[in-house]
Amino acid sequence: MFIIKEAEKERTPQPGQTRVRARKSSSIHKQRHEWLLHLVLVVLSVMFLFPLFWLVSTSLKPIEETMRQPPTLFPAHPQWHNYRDAFVYEADKLGYIPFLVYGRNTLILCILTVSGVVFSNALVAYAFARLRWPGRDLVFAATLATMMVPFPVLMVPVYALFKGLGWIGTFRPLWVPAWFGNAFFIFLLRQFFRTIPFELSEAARIDGASEWGIFRQIILPLSKPALAVVALFQFMGTWRDFLGPLIYLLDQKTFTLSLGLQFYQSQHGGTQWHLLMAASTIVIAPVIILFFFTQKQFIQGIALTGIKG
Amino acid sequence: MARASLPLGAWGTLVINAHPNQPLLGRNMRRLAVPGAIALIALTIWYSELIVAPAPQVGPVHVTYWEKWTGFEGDAMRAVVDAFNRSQSKIHVDLLTISGIEDKTLLATAGGDPPDVAGLYGPNVAQYADDRAILPLDDYCRRYGINASQYIPAYWDIGYYRGHIWALPTTPASTALHYNRQMFRDAGLDPNRPPRTIEEMDADAAKIYRRDAAGHILKAGFMPAEPGWWNWGWGYFFGGRLWDGVSRITANSPENIRAFEWIRSYSVKYGARDLQTFRSGFGNFSSPQNAFLSQQVAMELQGVWMSNFIQMYSPGLDWAAAPFPYPADRPDLKNSTFVDEDVLVIPRGAKHPEEAFQFIAFVQSQKGMEMLCLLQKKHTPLIKVSPEFWAHHPNPYIKLFAQLARGKNTIFPPKLGIWPEYSAELNNAFDEVTLLKKTPKEALEAVQQRMQPKLDEYLRILRLRGDIR
Amino acid sequence: MSAQPETLRSRRSLARNEARIALLFVGPWIVGFGVFLFYPLVASIYYSFCDYSVLRSPVWIGMQNYADLVRDDVFWTSLKNTLIYAMMALPLGMLVAISLAMLLNAKVKGLAVYRTIFFLPSLVPTIPLAVLWLWVFNGEHGILNYVLQLLHLPTPNWLGDPAWSKPALALLAIWGAGNSMVIYLAGLQDVPVDLYEAADLDGAGWWSKTRNVTLPMLSPVILFNLIMGIIGALQVFAEPYVMFPGGSPARSTYFYTMYLFDNAFRYHKMGYACAMGWIMFVIILLLTMLALRLSERHVYYQGS
Repeated sequence: MFIIKEAEKERTPQPGQTRVRARKSSSIHKQRHEWLLHLVLVVLSVMFLFPLFWLVSTSLKPIEETMRQPPTLFPAHPQWHNYRDAFVYEADKLGYIPFLVYGRNTLILCILTVSGVVFSNALVAYAFARLRWPGRDLVFAATLATMMVPFPVLMVPVYALFKGLGWIGTFRPLWVPAWFGNAFFIFLLRQFFRTIPFELSEAARIDGASEWGIFRQIILPLSKPALAVVALFQFMGTWRDFLGPLIYLLDQKTFTLSLGLQFYQSQHGGTQWHLLMAASTIVIAPVIILFFFTQKQFIQGIALTGIKG
Repeated sequence: MARASLPLGAWGTLVINAHPNQPLLGRNMRRLAVPGAIALIALTIWYSELIVAPAPQVGPVHVTYWEKWTGFEGDAMRAVVDAFNRSQSKIHVDLLTISGIEDKTLLATAGGDPPDVAGLYGPNVAQYADDRAILPLDDYCRRYGINASQYIPAYWDIGYYRGHIWALPTTPASTALHYNRQMFRDAGLDPNRPPRTIEEMDADAAKIYRRDAAGHILKAGFMPAEPGWWNWGWGYFFGGRLWDGVSRITANSPENIRAFEWIRSYSVKYGARDLQTFRSGFGNFSSPQNAFLSQQVAMELQGVWMSNFIQMYSPGLDWAAAPFPYPADRPDLKNSTFVDEDVLVIPRGAKHPEEAFQFIAFVQSQKGMEMLCLLQKKHTPLIKVSPEFWAHHPNPYIKLFAQLARGKNTIFPPKLGIWPEYSAELNNAFDEVTLLKKTPKEALEAVQQRMQPKLDEYLRILRLRGDIR
Repeated sequence: MSAQPETLRSRRSLARNEARIALLFVGPWIVGFGVFLFYPLVASIYYSFCDYSVLRSPVWIGMQNYADLVRDDVFWTSLKNTLIYAMMALPLGMLVAISLAMLLNAKVKGLAVYRTIFFLPSLVPTIPLAVLWLWVFNGEHGILNYVLQLLHLPTPNWLGDPAWSKPALALLAIWGAGNSMVIYLAGLQDVPVDLYEAADLDGAGWWSKTRNVTLPMLSPVILFNLIMGIIGALQVFAEPYVMFPGGSPARSTYFYTMYLFDNAFRYHKMGYACAMGWIMFVIILLLTMLALRLSERHVYYQGS
């Protein structure tokens, strides 16, 4: 498979590989081009940001204004209380679950899946990257192949498996598998581990260090960025997961945020748009905030999966 | 440290950035990092298990009851549950509101951890019974003295399937024509003379339709697509049936095709796109922007609950209810009505079935039932009705709804395990016809072609399982 | 020499030791692979030959499920819908992602800001995004139609018209392009600048440079994204599930995974659903192999 061929080439630095520069031309020409470029970028930025802007704008309108034709760009009178209302929506009604509960459940799952994913995949990737054992490359190829297996194929038997264990309705189906490896993260970490000079490991082995010692004290510290990427990806994944909670969670008090948003959608065809948007903003906000603080790692991580793939 | 200018590509930058000698945290904190992380994980696992664990059972037996209702309908059931809990001290019913209840209950039963009582919809019974997802209630009924003679036949029948009683009613429903008397007056029609035949209704509707200068529909006399809850059943009003009760799907019967021709006529007359656009602008059902409440649609097939929504969101509306029209050449179809009910079932695997049924029996008693139905402002499924019930009822047309349900033209979906698929097909055919994508004959033939093999397969499986011979 | 058999034996025992340790390290994955991948894969094939409603034990019915699938109109409709959607969303997404990446690749001031802005929408969790889009695409009240109206362009009923529901979903792909844009951007930065300089010396224009330098250099990345895109597009579920319940209108957005899900959890035909799952797997494999086969001619690897 071409992926392995690429990966197997220990990439040596290529001379002269620097960032592509913009086209060389006279400075006035360049200025005009830059100006045009900026214009295009600004227009595109508006397009891209608009949905998010619209989300927040709608969340601050009263329900009647949300349906006004023609739509108003900014709410006439920002209804900040919509956010509080979203939290206490149907609070006086039966079976009310505060939105915070959904947030708590989602957070629990994030903690458990992220720690599981970082721990288990680092271990496994180490075996593929830094140890030699019979059948290693074959198993690695098989691992990569599994990335192509669509989840629906596995959905029913996995469900039946969890049912047999009596785990349906609990959180376990949503976090336990994270502790047993994931093909994508194994691939990512394995590629990264292989770039760490093998001499470091050799030197440590000669000094009498155990594999576990090398793993813990040499490889892991050097891999913090890659591990951070894995953690971030998993966090985003768990935060957004919809199908998993849909199938495995039964009791409302166990629901996650993505399921919880459905409650603002119609019972009899009556969607509380303004509250739904407010709640959605609340759900999106942590993701965006987290992203702002971890941009560099995140984007580098995505780039890594793509180029070396 | 140097970044992108070093010729190492992206991998290189990552390695260089992670300089092993840079302390991330203070030395002591780093030593605590690993055990701290382990502690956090263990704590989280323990907490997550705590959330999921069932509440310890002390004192009375706790019966979990999942119900779909919110708002005042939910409050009504809450009142009944409270009354039951107060009336005795051995059982305590815990009522939970669940959205998407038919799917969730199925999932929970499949997962092995269902509620003790679930409030489903009438049409769910067949599928659940086929899958043995619910317990037959014959034995319980016998012991608690509940039998068919106490009920309006249409409502007992809904819970009865293949020789067993699987579900008992909570609140019943029937449907009638709701019309806006003011809009009738404005169009020059007599508000005291609602249409009696379909043809009269079509003519009245034509007089009410209004468009604006740009040609957009402003007011509609009637639209088969609104509210769109019974799109599968229009054929019945024209004498059609959906299967022969034995082994054949009858989607393409002449009466069904005739009904769909009638549906099509509205799209032809008023413009499929125009109607669609008009419809997409309707507000939420339970809001003043409801199509009927906001006086955008003058006539609508609706159920006994509509009066509540009118009183809640549009109390000044001048409206009335009448039996839904029948085709002029079929007076035998007079007073046709959809009947439905919400039901209570005991899922298989429920931990306290006996106590669960005790609660169900309470709801079935005249006292319990009338309390519930009065608060939900519907009529009751029981034959015996106390005069106070009628006297206190807020729906001015309640007797009409009760009468329609006792009639002989009551319509209920076929009791087939494959009903969800069949109804999806019929809804799809309805869409295709209203959008003028297919002719009624084509659309219904397609349904027929698709569903007959499914019915055959379904019956074959039932035979294989030994459910039928 | 006497030392040789010693080293041979110790080398072999070292290797055995290493293998044993490796087993410990790779252990979690062996379990995970076996329990969550291999077993379900095999079980899934078995179930696909059974009538299996999870509340009752599976009953062997041979090829019946597959035969029924072939005759099932809805199966073909859902497959067709999914493929049409993929053919719209994938090229659109790729075009937007590559274009954005190329725009950003010119050394522009504020590159990081723009990159963030374009990337942001792809972070938004599915449900809020779908819900937001329900709102934006609303035929009567939606902002999109309002803007189109101002520009005197036609205003289709995106959500209610079967002809426009799939395009509406495909447009969502534009906003999700941020993810692959980043990959392309990184790929672009890997292109050796001396190739561009050589092209400049030959007097090549912008399009010629793009066609002969940029795109070939990017081709491995494009291939990777194409394959991941195919796998993803064929499994689209959450957005249509929320935006178009039941695949309305008229099943125009009833996608493959939705039908699979309905069969498994609504109609309780789990065996049937498993058969559908396997067919999807085979299709993905075939498409991937096709992509790889085509790539041999068009994809160019640096340093090979």
